[in-house]
Amino acid sequence: MEERSEIPPGTLYMLILKTLLRIGPMHGYGIAQHIQQISKEVLQVEEGSLYPALQRMLIKGWVVGEWKQSENNRRARFYSLTPKGRKQLAAEIAEFEKVTAAITRVIQPA
Amino acid sequence: MDSFFRRLLYYFRRDKFEAELEEEMQHHAALSGRPKFGNVTLLKEDSRAMWTWTFWEQLGQDLRYALRTMANNKAFTALAALSLALGIGANTSIYSFMDSILLRSLPVQNPESLAVLNWHSKPRSVSKGQKGTTFVMHAMSGSTYGDSKSGTTAGIFPFPAFELLEKDDSSFTSVFAFYPTGRLNLAFKGQADIANGEYVSGDYFRGLGVPPASGRLLLRDDDKAGAPPVAVISFAFSQSHFGGTENVTGQSILINNIPFTVAGVTPPEFFGTDPAAVPDVYLPMHANLLLEAYPFGGPGAQYLDKNYYWIQIMARLRSGVSLAQARATLATPFHQWVGSTATNDKERANLPELLVSEGAGGLDTLRRQYSKPLYFLLTLVGLILAIACANIANLLLARAAARRREIALRLSVGAGRLRVIRQLLTESVVLASLGGFLGVLFAIWSIRFLTLLLANGQSNFTLRADLNWHVLGAAAALSLLTGAIFGLAPAIQSTRVDVMPALKEIRTSQTHPRFHVSLSQMLIASQMALSLLILVAAGLFVRTLANLQSVELGFNRENLLLFQLNARQAGHRDPEIASFYSDLQNQFSKVPGVRNVSLSHRSMIHAGTGLPISVSGVETNDTRLLFIGPRFFTTLQIPMLLGRDLEERDQSGSHAVVIVSESFAKANFGDENPVGRSLTLGGVGPTATRTDMEIVGISRDARYGGVKRDVPPVVYLPYYLQPASYPVQQMVYELRTAGDPLAYVNSIREIVQRADSRVPLTNVETQVEEIDQTINQEIMFAKLCTAFAILALLIACVGLYGTMSYTVARRTAEIGIRMALGARQGGVIWMVLRQVFSMALVGLAIGLPIALATSKLVESFLFGMKPDDPLAIAAAIAVLMTAAVIAGYAPARRASKIDPMVALRHE
Repeated sequence: MEERSEIPPGTLYMLILKTLLRIGPMHGYGIAQHIQQISKEVLQVEEGSLYPALQRMLIKGWVVGEWKQSENNRRARFYSLTPKGRKQLAAEIAEFEKVTAAITRVIQPA
Repeated sequence: MDSFFRRLLYYFRRDKFEAELEEEMQHHAALSGRPKFGNVTLLKEDSRAMWTWTFWEQLGQDLRYALRTMANNKAFTALAALSLALGIGANTSIYSFMDSILLRSLPVQNPESLAVLNWHSKPRSVSKGQKGTTFVMHAMSGSTYGDSKSGTTAGIFPFPAFELLEKDDSSFTSVFAFYPTGRLNLAFKGQADIANGEYVSGDYFRGLGVPPASGRLLLRDDDKAGAPPVAVISFAFSQSHFGGTENVTGQSILINNIPFTVAGVTPPEFFGTDPAAVPDVYLPMHANLLLEAYPFGGPGAQYLDKNYYWIQIMARLRSGVSLAQARATLATPFHQWVGSTATNDKERANLPELLVSEGAGGLDTLRRQYSKPLYFLLTLVGLILAIACANIANLLLARAAARRREIALRLSVGAGRLRVIRQLLTESVVLASLGGFLGVLFAIWSIRFLTLLLANGQSNFTLRADLNWHVLGAAAALSLLTGAIFGLAPAIQSTRVDVMPALKEIRTSQTHPRFHVSLSQMLIASQMALSLLILVAAGLFVRTLANLQSVELGFNRENLLLFQLNARQAGHRDPEIASFYSDLQNQFSKVPGVRNVSLSHRSMIHAGTGLPISVSGVETNDTRLLFIGPRFFTTLQIPMLLGRDLEERDQSGSHAVVIVSESFAKANFGDENPVGRSLTLGGVGPTATRTDMEIVGISRDARYGGVKRDVPPVVYLPYYLQPASYPVQQMVYELRTAGDPLAYVNSIREIVQRADSRVPLTNVETQVEEIDQTINQEIMFAKLCTAFAILALLIACVGLYGTMSYTVARRTAEIGIRMALGARQGGVIWMVLRQVFSMALVGLAIGLPIALATSKLVESFLFGMKPDDPLAIAAAIAVLMTAAVIAGYAPARRASKIDPMVALRHE
């Protein structure tokens, strides 16, 4: 089994929001799968942190949920982005890039 | 904001939300092809925590559950709440006294900007055989304190020093002075009574910032020699003597037979500057010229004397000026001034320095008197609370063991460990709160009880403690804290279970995990150690009290009535006053049942007068005086070693005679017979007035000035010889009676009333009561410590009994097997008792060194013994071991009665 990395703290919201922006309304399992595939199996989303995160995002109003038929013919909650969620995504990406650039500068060889 | 509404929506449709979450997760599991999804319940709880105000909700659940558990275990709840109530109640009541004595501010405007002035000097040891004075304080009236190491501190100053400080306006906005009047005879409409008063300087009320309750308070113009005599009375006095504050202003009252006009009334909460003395009446300082005998030099001399220290000074700091700044500013001018009052080089080397201390709490008389005893008592009740906590922790531990399956079940169905700990803690805090509530009720009662105990019959006792928000807050905090302390260890302990074995365990004889036993044994041993400390304290104080009560007085304390009259304050003057007193002595002696009557200017217990006495022109050392009436030694039953008692024929105009004590004779005459020799009363200087007297008797030594002091050499002089500088004032009558002395009070009162209704009868008490009052603190300590020790022992024994009963119950099967294999009943009893002994011995091993180390701290409270008194310590150990055996015997006996067949079948 290949090496899997923990998702860096604080970035899960960003990953979920970006996924929803890219692939449109999706259920929890689909979101986790998508992140795993795009990251080439490096990022593994644990359900134990995914669902609490989704709940928090529902409370904050960044996403809304809608119950629809899923691929295995069962009911599933499909999450989709709200305008508030889009704004949040932009802010999170900007913040992330700022921090990453800063970290890169620190660890670059002098 | 909308997130709030989303939460609210969730709150009402929670079931739907949770079902949805569940479905969503099952869907996930199905897609991922994994059957199990981790701890679903925990996940659900987490999500619920996100959506709601779970904290409060869970608290509600926990509270309901805690109350149900408590109701189901009534005996446990009652026992635990009761022992906590006693512990918290005792702490609350002692703390309320500390609050009122040590922490409370004067009820005046901005008390924090008040300052008290004191001085500090090298120790003023009595220098024997030294010529000339060594300190600028040639004469003092007031209290000084300190010892030979730290030096002397006092808050009394000469009047010129007050004038000096008054002039300085850089540090203070107001400087004011005062001193106690002593007892005054205050008559209103022919009704004479005794009142306590304070002489105050003109700026006193303005400086303190006190508004009148009616009329006006004293002003600068009132405090001048020759000003019309006015007085201000306290609110309480206006209520008790004038029926209210109305119509008091402008009334005329007689103070020591001199008419004064009442100018106004102080507000109800005001009690002067010293919480130890609550004045009934405030007089302008210069009114003392009308009321007092002049100690020396004639009227007004004390205002000019730079070496007579007598007035207390307080000041109000200018805003922005600190105590240290005020002291720095005033140190130099005071030093210069006090230097100018020195009369020789020794005095110049020993000058006092000025201290400026915090004045928000007023004078610190009470603090000095009670702070040490109160801290000591607080420590004791703190120990009791610790014992109670250890006890409840132990009971909870035993119960937690019984609840192991319940807790294991909760953990296995997915309850978080913290969640279970929180629930268990809620239970203990609820228990502690119940204890705290009952404790406050107990405190209300015990504050009253303690006040009575502290006052010990003193009618003018001024110490008042009550429950205020301060104290209640402290009690509440204490309850929560104790709940957390005794609850935490068992809670952590009991959630540390391995779920599977605990679930499988079906009430078997499986022995307890080792750790449980040792923790509970540790708690028992520490309870024993703490109880030992309190027992040792009780032993020491009971022995101290016994020592004090068996002190040889030198006179017979039984059936002796004492009371005081002050005829001078009612207007009697020399020489008539002497015959007034002797006429009364005559009349008292005719009351049926009165065997003997005498009088003295002070009672023996409160005596303490020193005037120069010389033998053959040489002044004697440390001689103390008592002015007495005829038949003094007969009445008090002090044996005469040689010569005779004072008699009626020894009167003014006849040959002056005197009686000396055994110690005086030995110190000044050695082995010679002093009868027939002469003494001289008065200084040795050329201007002093002198009286020569012939010694006619020697009495055995008797306690003078209290039961604890060493007996000084005493000279007993007839009271008609009191010199002009120390004129006849009050007299204490001593009546030797048949039967209860207090039964004669009414006849005595009638006689005094007939003789002169202006003279009130005061300080009526038996000799036994008077002595008890002087050893009041020791009586209180002995009583309280005994009560505390019983309480501590009771709580500890209940704990021991509970733990041993529990152990025996757990080991029923094992003991059954032992007995089936032939163990004797005695052997089983011994087996259980051995465990009791081992815990008690560990307790002793911990407690004894602590007791020995800490008992030195109470040395100053002891009398006639050392703090490591072997008898007190041995008694404490004996009591502790006996109590432990009694508490352990019932479970041991129960163990020995176990029927092996029943026990094994039970298996």
